[in-house]
Amino acid sequence: MQTPWKNLRAWLIKHQAIDNSVKEAYEIRRLDLSGLSLQSLPEEFALLESLVFLNLSNNLLSELPASFVKLSKLNNLDLKRNAFKTVPKALLQLDLGVVNFSSNELEDVGTLFDIASLRVCDLSFNHLSQLELDIQEHLNLRTLNLSGNFFKVIPQSIGTLVELQRLNLSQNMIETVNNSLTSLFELEDINLSDNKITSIDESFFTLGLEHVDLCANELRTLYLSHLEDLESLSLDENPLSYIELDESFAPYLQEFSCDSCQLSEFVPLSSRSLNSLCLSSNKIKVLPENISRYENLTQLDIDNNAIAHLPYEMTNMTRLQTLYVTGNPLDEASKEVIKVLHPDICDLNMKTGIEIEEASADDLTQMARLIGVLFQIEKDFSIDFDKQLAGITKLYAAEGTILLVAKYEGKVVGMVTMQRLISSAAGDYIGQIEDLVVDEAYRKMGVGSRLINKIRFIALQEYAYQRVQLAADMDNTNALHFYTRRGFRRTNLNVFHLNK
Amino acid sequence: MSEKQAILDMEVCECGEKNVADAIEIFQNSSLPFKKAKKLVTECNKSCCRAALLKIYDMNQFGSFDFDEIENIIQQRLDRLKRLAEGS
Repeated sequence: MQTPWKNLRAWLIKHQAIDNSVKEAYEIRRLDLSGLSLQSLPEEFALLESLVFLNLSNNLLSELPASFVKLSKLNNLDLKRNAFKTVPKALLQLDLGVVNFSSNELEDVGTLFDIASLRVCDLSFNHLSQLELDIQEHLNLRTLNLSGNFFKVIPQSIGTLVELQRLNLSQNMIETVNNSLTSLFELEDINLSDNKITSIDESFFTLGLEHVDLCANELRTLYLSHLEDLESLSLDENPLSYIELDESFAPYLQEFSCDSCQLSEFVPLSSRSLNSLCLSSNKIKVLPENISRYENLTQLDIDNNAIAHLPYEMTNMTRLQTLYVTGNPLDEASKEVIKVLHPDICDLNMKTGIEIEEASADDLTQMARLIGVLFQIEKDFSIDFDKQLAGITKLYAAEGTILLVAKYEGKVVGMVTMQRLISSAAGDYIGQIEDLVVDEAYRKMGVGSRLINKIRFIALQEYAYQRVQLAADMDNTNALHFYTRRGFRRTNLNVFHLNK
Repeated sequence: MSEKQAILDMEVCECGEKNVADAIEIFQNSSLPFKKAKKLVTECNKSCCRAALLKIYDMNQFGSFDFDEIENIIQQRLDRLKRLAEGS
């Protein structure tokens, strides 16, 4: 006769949640049962009393077994993308720290916030339009995601979540930022983007917020004051025609963005800590001469305005690395300013018309020369055109390889290759990226990014390789940063060579 | 869950008349930050498809596409528009 544990173990093995090495229920602390189209869980589930982390996302669950209350150690529960219409009562008796109910069909949260231990709660993309909380104060909740619901007003009850630090109310139908947030003294980060906000209560500006996102609303004018702790403010895609600044506003602001609004005047922020300023796609005609007081500015985006002149004082902005200025009727003196500034990235210097395509036989000679450019940096290899041409020609003819080139007016200005390997770890083919190189005159134009994005997509999506990997020279710090920023993870492996 | 090709064919931006495959192609052929790359897709300054495009952009940056997630976010937006039209 099967015991309840044997039944449950067989069920878990069938769903590949555990393997045969698990002999006892208490051994299981983490369980991933996502994406299995489960409509219910077995009653024996309660035997997993050591369970701490449970992922049940992407199923068809609408209830949980009553015996769930016995999972007394459960801390982190993921119920994203299921079919819950109500919060299961069994959860309320657990000491959950993190719960994810995103993309369900909840119309109210019941007494979910009675779980005193709850610190992180994701209720995004449900059918919530109100939040009725019976509690006086909730002392543990730090992060609450209510985005993608149907709130027309910010619920007053949010004020009881007195320890809240991060609040996401984006993609609702909120028309005004009322005074519900006044008691949230710990709130640092608020996302109110993609609503219908036309006005903001003055109490909002007394909060200790560090990051505010008000993008894609219906703000037409704005009076900004206080917010003394503010580090970043995004106001993109509002029909803002005027921003009035109080001198008390955000003395330590680092990032300010007002992209695609209707501003006709520059916003003279007082913060000297500003490092990123975006006023792209407005109607600004004049930049103030004292723009150079933003001496920490590393990114300035003023493209698509009506600016005719860049003040010569801008040449003092020695930390500026990125400058977007196209779409302005700039005079010749302004172009001299840009020459002096010489930012790493400037859209005026970018060449349009660089195409990424699969290499043809006619490209191989140029590719062999480019590999030589790469070997100037990599100490492990020496430049020998004939060998490089022989290598790239063999690679071109080999099965399972991908050779991409970046071309400008018919000239190869960048390249990357990939060859197929078999991985016993992955049990399948993987791709080995080699020879990513861009001609020096075409660097800082995004050519390398485009090459790596394209080859990675072909390898993973079209060739269905289980992994892509590459080796990079440890001294080439630019390359190491480049790959890390694009999702590559550094491993512990080192490459060893044994030459003939 | 739909087949991958059906998801690639789903319209993600009405203004720019682009489907998921178009958006991926545009993001792959650009190294611009999201705000600018998004305008290449939408060809406008509106924000209707921002959330879905941001998801696709991030997936492109990290080299791995979760097509179920893309379908989900597009579907969520359509459901939401339908619900709003019904007067919710």
